[in-house]
Amino acid sequence: MKLAIPDQVLLQMEKPARYIGRETNMVKKDPKDVDIRFAFCFPDVYEVGMSCLAVQILYFFLNRREDTYCERAFAPWVDLEQYMVKEKIPCFTLETQSSLKDFDFVGFTLQYELCYTNLINMLEMSGISAWASERTEDDPIILCGGSCAYNPEPLAEFVDVFYLGEGEVLYDQMLDRYKEYKKMGKTKAEYLESLLDWDGLYIPKYYDVTYHEDGTIQSFTPNHPKARPILKKVIVKDMDQVFYPEKQLVPLMDVIHNRVTLELFRGCIRGCRFCQAGFVYRPVREKKVDTLLRQAKSLVDTSGHEEISLISLATSDFTCFSDLADGLLNEFSKDAVSLSLPSLRIDAFSLDLMQRIQEVRKSSLTFAAEAGTQRLRNVINKNLTEEMILNGCKLAFDGGWNKVKLYFMLGLPTETEEDLKGIGALADKIVDQYFEIPKEERPRPVTVTASASCFVPKPFTPFQWDAQETYESFGEKAKIAKHSVTRKQVRFTYHNTKMSSLEGVMARGDRKVAKLLYRAWELGCRYDSWSDLFLWDKWEQAFAETGLTIAFYANRVRPYDEILPWDHISVGVSRRFLMEEREKALRAECTPNCREHCSNCGAKSFGGGVCFENVSV
Amino acid sequence: MRTYRFKYTKGEELKLLGYLDMMVAFQRAIKRAKLPIAFSNGFNPHQLLTFASPLSLGYTSEGEYGDLRLKEELAAEEVKERLGAQLPDGMELLRVTAIGDEAKNTMASLVAARYRVTLPKTIAAEGFGAVLERFWAQKEILADKKTKKGMVQTNIKPLIFSLQDATKENKAAMEMVLAMGSVQSLRADAVVASLCEFCGVPFGPYDASYHRIDLYQQGQAGFVPLDEEVPLP
Ligand code: SF4
Repeated sequence: MKLAIPDQVLLQMEKPARYIGRETNMVKKDPKDVDIRFAFCFPDVYEVGMSCLAVQILYFFLNRREDTYCERAFAPWVDLEQYMVKEKIPCFTLETQSSLKDFDFVGFTLQYELCYTNLINMLEMSGISAWASERTEDDPIILCGGSCAYNPEPLAEFVDVFYLGEGEVLYDQMLDRYKEYKKMGKTKAEYLESLLDWDGLYIPKYYDVTYHEDGTIQSFTPNHPKARPILKKVIVKDMDQVFYPEKQLVPLMDVIHNRVTLELFRGCIRGCRFCQAGFVYRPVREKKVDTLLRQAKSLVDTSGHEEISLISLATSDFTCFSDLADGLLNEFSKDAVSLSLPSLRIDAFSLDLMQRIQEVRKSSLTFAAEAGTQRLRNVINKNLTEEMILNGCKLAFDGGWNKVKLYFMLGLPTETEEDLKGIGALADKIVDQYFEIPKEERPRPVTVTASASCFVPKPFTPFQWDAQETYESFGEKAKIAKHSVTRKQVRFTYHNTKMSSLEGVMARGDRKVAKLLYRAWELGCRYDSWSDLFLWDKWEQAFAETGLTIAFYANRVRPYDEILPWDHISVGVSRRFLMEEREKALRAECTPNCREHCSNCGAKSFGGGVCFENVSV
Repeated sequence: MRTYRFKYTKGEELKLLGYLDMMVAFQRAIKRAKLPIAFSNGFNPHQLLTFASPLSLGYTSEGEYGDLRLKEELAAEEVKERLGAQLPDGMELLRVTAIGDEAKNTMASLVAARYRVTLPKTIAAEGFGAVLERFWAQKEILADKKTKKGMVQTNIKPLIFSLQDATKENKAAMEMVLAMGSVQSLRADAVVASLCEFCGVPFGPYDASYHRIDLYQQGQAGFVPLDEEVPLP
């Protein structure tokens, strides 16, 4: 296969292996032999995209169809992008090095808001207008999925179809129908119209929006008789039956995570009130241990990776976690395959497990405390007490660990100065805890890192109506938190406040945000999630020129009766439940997790998962 | 325990893959092939797998070598088949030989390398043979060479063991055998840079294409490939 870019050019680029494909387990087909060409795009650089589980799953899911060739495309890094723009070389897929324009479908997975300008860039580089209304029958159908698709409105003017939910559910029927329509000589417009038959697919052009004078939404109405007023996400009910790839793509170059990933379950029982994933992926659906052991073995055998990572939103909540861990250790420890266990709750059990796993000892322990005081942790329903953290640290220090990482959020609803000062106080207490062990048993110095991110209210969370702090105020809050640290063993860092503000706009943006995105892209913005490439002054210019403001989208409290841009979408969790949760938050009241007590959030309507676990007992 | 020497290629498809990435690709292929690879002792055990010499990014080769050590003895053919099937496209196993424990490893044995270089377009194919002869006839061939003291102009002629015209299809090309090993080494692009200067054309690091043909050790009667004249088990 000839590369889209000449060798001499690629040799001058940073990491040329980003562009050559040819990874182990890459699927090879001849585009001439298939009916449907699908370009699966990740709007960020190769090594980020290749570490995304959705890419791994859907690549093999789509390619298991003989009539479809799914290829991958990533955003070219800025060095190559400059050359491609100058030479008018389109954005290309790795497998056949074809332009995105040559595909039937161009599908993007959206994992974070600050990748939106990259999506525009990838389309425009390929000679595909980013504006859906300007595209013709010759252009591919532009699809988007992933967690950001749950508030699709900022991209509604760019995208033909938003897929709401889990890819395994609808793609087969969508592709079957596409093939049928193509054979019958029907148009893409007719195909899009036919998708109105199914729930879970949002096609923006069939909905009209009107606005009040103050910019809020006056009405959001279907303009086609078949367009549903409310679209509900689609999810897999039985995780043991659903397709999971037996192999994964193994990049030839170093990527963010060089390992195979085993997905334990989807959803989360906890319901932390700031966490979008905790609501949009409800309800929890687990795989059985047998299924997981079988999948793990096959993934390790076919990849040659030395690490297997157990992925979920909260690994400790997996009901048969100790059986699974034992099974995996039995199977793999002799082959020098190690386990990595992100999102683990630190307690005696997990520490014992980590000690049994090689190499983990070197790493640091992570606590997502999120807030500095118990009151504020109750507000966000974060079921982690100071006592649990200090006990976890004590056990860990006794076990030989000496590095602790703490994650916090600044600007949570109801936050006071006391909460901010609590951040330093907690970090200091952990240092004190370390010095409680006898001097001769602590050969290495202790380090505690407290990282603070800026709270971004997200759709489908109880805080979806709340105001986000301004970036100026985030800066001041960060200062207070920083000064609250007294021990020199504690390092305090915080996230770029302006990027968080922009994320706040995108997260709860409406259709009008499209022109802001496009203008920012015209001014040169892309890779906005990379702080060294983030062009704040260009964004400010784009805001000024389009007349939109951060204040309107991010910094105001929305009344309950305001129409939210994502109100036509249902993730299964009812608006009533979110409102109740918000009221409880303001009273600093906690809500039990799904296994302690079902709070009837609405997700039971999907007919599976944790909502039915207790019924059988 | 048995050590196997393998010879492999790195084709056009993988010329943009760096040397470290190539080594990792090999390690993973060994795991997928389920070869009973031996591990080093110590806290961080690693596969007993070594390579003769790094190949620069952008170079292709039909003569790369390495050694791997297995915990149990397998037929060399079986190792070749199982490992060969798992290597990425663009890497091909040419030969696998079981070798004696007393054999020096590839890195220690290496003394020279043979290259074919297709030269930049600025050097005309017509009459290139004569140009090359004049280049070779110089008393000293000067080139910038990296030393501990930084870049210095040195005479590289003693490190060039042979130099021949290999022009084909109207593209100026040359084949050469250069010193390579722990005692003395010469990079192929240093010769090209010197030739460009001799011809009065600019040298660009990405203008020529470099292909390694083989790696040599000292044999009884001159240079031989690294997997010949090796003590057998
Ligand atoms: S319906 Fe109950 S069990 Fe199911 S996700 Fe909602 S709160 Fe949890």
